[in-house]
Amino acid sequence: MTLATPPSTSGASRAEPAVRAVGLLKTFGPIRAVDDVTFDLLPGRIYGILGPNGSGKTTLIRLLVGLTAATAGHAEVLGVAMPSRPTLGRIGYMTQSDGIYPALTAGENARFFAAAYGVHGPQAVSDALRVVDLADRVDSIAGTLSGGQRRRLSLACALVHRPPVLFLDEPTVGVDPLLRVEFWAHFRALVDNGATIVVSSHVMDEADRCDELLFVRSGKLIARGSGTDIRREAGTDDLEQAFLRLGGDQPAIR
Amino acid sequence: MSGRRVRALFRRVVQEIRRDRPSLGLLFIAPILVTGLVTFILREGETPPVHAVIFNQAGPPGVVVAGALRTTLEADGGSATIVPDVDTARAAVSDGSATVAITLPAGLGGGGAVITVLTDGLDPSGEGSQVAAVGRLLAAAAASVTGISPPTIDHTTLYGTPSSDPITTFAPAIVGFFAYFFVYILTGVSFLRERTGGTLERLMATPVTRGEVVIGYILGFGLFATMQVALLMTWALASVHVPAIGPIPDFWIGLGIPIAGSAVFAFLVVVLTALGAVSLGIFLSTFARTELQIIQFIPIVLVPQFLLSGVLFPVDSLPPVVQRLAKIMPLTYTVEGLRQVFIAGADLASAALRFDLLVLAAFAVFFATIAAFTIRRDVA
Repeated sequence: MTLATPPSTSGASRAEPAVRAVGLLKTFGPIRAVDDVTFDLLPGRIYGILGPNGSGKTTLIRLLVGLTAATAGHAEVLGVAMPSRPTLGRIGYMTQSDGIYPALTAGENARFFAAAYGVHGPQAVSDALRVVDLADRVDSIAGTLSGGQRRRLSLACALVHRPPVLFLDEPTVGVDPLLRVEFWAHFRALVDNGATIVVSSHVMDEADRCDELLFVRSGKLIARGSGTDIRREAGTDDLEQAFLRLGGDQPAIR
Repeated sequence: MSGRRVRALFRRVVQEIRRDRPSLGLLFIAPILVTGLVTFILREGETPPVHAVIFNQAGPPGVVVAGALRTTLEADGGSATIVPDVDTARAAVSDGSATVAITLPAGLGGGGAVITVLTDGLDPSGEGSQVAAVGRLLAAAAASVTGISPPTIDHTTLYGTPSSDPITTFAPAIVGFFAYFFVYILTGVSFLRERTGGTLERLMATPVTRGEVVIGYILGFGLFATMQVALLMTWALASVHVPAIGPIPDFWIGLGIPIAGSAVFAFLVVVLTALGAVSLGIFLSTFARTELQIIQFIPIVLVPQFLLSGVLFPVDSLPPVVQRLAKIMPLTYTVEGLRQVFIAGADLASAALRFDLLVLAAFAVFFATIAAFTIRRDVA
């Protein structure tokens, strides 16, 4: 029971989709981790992939980035079928784990990932660290940073090459509410400059910060639309309730 | 393949290791301690008293040499007895009443004399050190008596084959093994962290290729492995005498392992071995989920190599089935190559050494290639 809600913004509808999923299927043995998912995501918007733990959010993102091969179907980013090495240089990917080198300083981490993306020179590194408010910790060993600071460094490493498409896998896990607000303000600034952001989360109170939501359950895309659309469709003011109703009579999720 | 990306990977690996003091200690200090201990045991271990029987064909000079030998041996609780013929001497060794039988040849006074030293051959390494000790005493005694260049010592055994100074055969193999061992552990664990820490996942989402990752690692760890091998080689070969200063008695720095060939080729053998260990570490980290599992590979991958590569037993003396196994182990060629250089004095003109170097390089390239393929994009 998919909500057939087309992208609502009229101006963006003419733009080429930044991210496409076409019949994406990924099976692990008998488990269908991602089950026939199809969507187009337009540039200049924040998309939230919402679903309970184990619903296939991370696998879906990994399929879109091309880190794992699809059992069937395919993914496109910026009009190129994934996996595509040159296109990877235009994608930022923040993993669920921090994915930074604890023995290196914050600056060395950002510099390394910049070089991996083919970006050189100190400007990109200092810009990225300033954006996540870590400019004063450039020489701190990453392993000695606090959990929230490491999360910010992880984000900086995903932004350092100014990618037009960003995949953020639960970026705000372990981040305090204040910092969470800063993260979202920054995400908004990026999309205002034309970037496309795909954020996964299982925290419903973040959902309203997204332009559009994709509800995932058991690998299936069960609903899509803005928070308002989904509330109206489900006939409830509470997104969490809406999610439960749209998911049918399956057991409750957090 | 991008040179700048490889350089970035190389630099990152170096930065990580440099900050990891315990690992640096493992890499640089541990092999020195271990090889030092092994050499100390081999050299300074209790040598049981030498009981010699001497068959003197040399006449009066032989009597003097035998007398000098007796004085020294008796001082250490041993003995030296003159016997009338070779058969009596052999019988004494055979029934265990003597540990060595020495034949002083008729031409002892002249140049190029060969003194025959016979042992029963039942304890090759122990006898090796006894013969080495007796040889030194004989050479000193003969030189003082005759005033000529020291005679050659010809070691024969009743049973088996004689082994030379155990240090010469054992120590180079130990140096090669520990270079391999420590580089494998460090690389295996580092690369495992790359997998479990999410950084490899992230790296695979950049334009960096798997080949670049492996080459970056080989260069980074190769740099430290090369430094380690250089230090270890210097330590193994050097023999620097530090004179007594005040209350501190004089001592020696370095193992002073005699080397017949050039240290450069020995260095080359061990560096190629260590590069192979880097690739092996990356490759095996694929099959490990935790750092403990990297350690669990040691009895499976490293101990058999230690047992079969000729460190302990000559490969030729192994059962044919096991010999075939030894032939597919990199360390076999390390030990063989090092012995070529250390004992036979081989250089690049030697086909045997060229073969060993080639095989070691091939192992390094082979494991690097399969390591690159095992860094799947499916890393989660």
